[in-house]
Amino acid sequence: MSGAREATAETVMGTIVLVLTVAFLTYSLSVGGVHISRGNYEIGAKFGEAGALAPGAAVSVAGVKVGTVSQVTLDPKTYMAIAKLSIDTSVKLPADSTAKITSDGLLGGAHIAIAPGASLEDLQPGGEIENTQGAVDLLGLIGSVIRPQGGSGEAVASSAPAPPNQPSQPAERH
Amino acid sequence: MAAAKARRAPNRLRSNLVRPLGRSTLAAARRVGAVGVFGARATIAALSPPWFPGQIRRQFVAIGFFSLPVVGLTAIFTGAALALNIFTGGGRFNAEQVMPQIVALGITRELGPVLAALMLAGRVSAAIAAEIGAMRATEQIDAMHTLSTDPFSYLVGPRLLAGVLMLPLLTLVADTIGVAGGWLAATRVLDFSSAAYIRNTIDVLQGWDIVSGLIKAAVFGYIVALMGCYHGYTAKGGARGVGRATTRAVVSSAILIFASDYLLTTVFTQAS
Amino acid sequence: MTQTRPKFAWKGVIKRFEGRAVLDGLNLSVAQGRSLVIIGGSGQGKSVAIKTALGLLRPDAGQIELDGHSLVDLSQGQRRQLFSRVGVLFQGAALFDSLTVWENVAFRLINADGVPRKAAKDRAIEALDQVRLGPDVAHRFPSELSGGMQKRAGLARAVVGQPEILFFDEPTTGLDPITAMAINQLISDQVRRLGSTAISITHDLVSAQMIGDEIAMLHEGRIRWRGLARDLGQAEDPVVRRYADAARLGPVDLRSREIV
Repeated sequence: MSGAREATAETVMGTIVLVLTVAFLTYSLSVGGVHISRGNYEIGAKFGEAGALAPGAAVSVAGVKVGTVSQVTLDPKTYMAIAKLSIDTSVKLPADSTAKITSDGLLGGAHIAIAPGASLEDLQPGGEIENTQGAVDLLGLIGSVIRPQGGSGEAVASSAPAPPNQPSQPAERH
Repeated sequence: MAAAKARRAPNRLRSNLVRPLGRSTLAAARRVGAVGVFGARATIAALSPPWFPGQIRRQFVAIGFFSLPVVGLTAIFTGAALALNIFTGGGRFNAEQVMPQIVALGITRELGPVLAALMLAGRVSAAIAAEIGAMRATEQIDAMHTLSTDPFSYLVGPRLLAGVLMLPLLTLVADTIGVAGGWLAATRVLDFSSAAYIRNTIDVLQGWDIVSGLIKAAVFGYIVALMGCYHGYTAKGGARGVGRATTRAVVSSAILIFASDYLLTTVFTQAS
Repeated sequence: MTQTRPKFAWKGVIKRFEGRAVLDGLNLSVAQGRSLVIIGGSGQGKSVAIKTALGLLRPDAGQIELDGHSLVDLSQGQRRQLFSRVGVLFQGAALFDSLTVWENVAFRLINADGVPRKAAKDRAIEALDQVRLGPDVAHRFPSELSGGMQKRAGLARAVVGQPEILFFDEPTTGLDPITAMAINQLISDQVRRLGSTAISITHDLVSAQMIGDEIAMLHEGRIRWRGLARDLGQAEDPVVRRYADAARLGPVDLRSREIV
């Protein structure tokens, strides 16, 4: 029957789609370096400025992802940002490691890079990284490079004997 | 008497202007009520015995498996087109490099569930309405009543279950194939590195991106199956009635999918 | 007048559609083991009468009783239970087109009575044999059968549970005269074999006289005439006469004012 043949064609197509899906997933997981972690442990880190750091951001050591930021909150007493980091149990970090918030790009998000220290003791689950370096306000930094004094027209006006120049400027624009 | 008549005259005028509005509002409210009652009965029938495993299995295959080709095709082309569009658009503010992330988020959170649902609205909602409508027109539903079997348990329930459980699975496929479409466009047309594209995608995705899409898909699946069943079950007037039921099932599914998509997205974005 | 309680009865049933009373106080009853045929022209309320009897339409007023128990206010579950004593042959047979013929016949056994598939299939094939359909037909789908075979399969589905009461909705409509005769014969055989009470509606007088012990004429929502099937020819009532003559004499003058 034509109905039966149609059903066979649909079955074949459906199977092809399923096979392709599974194939792409397997390829992705192998290339993406996702391995099933055996669990995580939590450590804390305090920053003066968290910047664009958000839950889900990556935590990396030497550029390799070892965990994620699970939570960013404010300590109401010290006004510091507290980030909870969820680290793969297979990665042991020395107690004197440094955590630094790095920007992914000018407009991208932020992630935490950890520079391992030299201590013989490891950070325990629930422990805290004491050496931290907060986010740098990139745009602010750029702004301060462009206008070193942080001021605007004032600095220009006071440093140059301006009066003769001023009338000519609008004329030049024309 | 005269005064009373004078007072009534403008009233009557007003009521003539207002009445059509009131009538259509009431009719709309009645229809919403009817769908609500139907939905409640259908849900109870789907979740309580008697169950008909043969019917449930049949609907899982018809609604889930046989929708794979159309969902896969839609997803791969949309993923590829999305990648090219975001790459070009993102170029205006130097954000070409985050294209994989945007494609991944767009597909898992929004396009995967919505596209799969729309395809199901076209394919499955129409088919359900036509089948149940034809059964109504040829007295098969009446016959089922007289054979001591509740059509809600036998016909509607299994379709509802299949919609709610199968659309999330179809959405997982649509997510994967959609990302694959973006990846194909990025690596074949735009010279992205294959591994970097995939690593960026995997790094940006969080569990909630996918899970929220799957929750949406379950709601959409309920809508698609319910609209098909409702319009088929209430079809009147022979072949023409069945045709009308089919159109209504598709249109109302699509509208409800978009509306509930917006509602759910609002809830999800506020929750996180 | 008999003192025994009727098997099935409509008592003052009123059903309106958009203000028009299609059933206008229908009073009709059938005694146990009798076969009653309701005749009447189109639009006189025959199908509404049978739909109210089957609980597919709810009457606006009046009672419908089976063995003296009201059917009107039953819950879904009670109605379903009660339907195990009822068999129905629908006008277009109403076979489920996604199921094979034997699955159709065994539908109640499998889905409502919990009979194992194997046993249900045996009983279905037996019932198909009763209506002269061979086991080769059992595995076909309804769309592969002729109209007459579909009716027979529908009849098998109606009688397989050995119901106490059988309903036939226009059993010969859409069939050629020879097939119609065969169906009439099968119906009266089955009703006699089971000893069931039977209620049929039809506009086919030949069929009515073949399958009915008694005939009732429905006109404008009420019973206009009722009597033994063989007495129909001698009825005095002008409406009944005209109906009977039209059936006998063939085409009538459509311009006549007296057409009902």
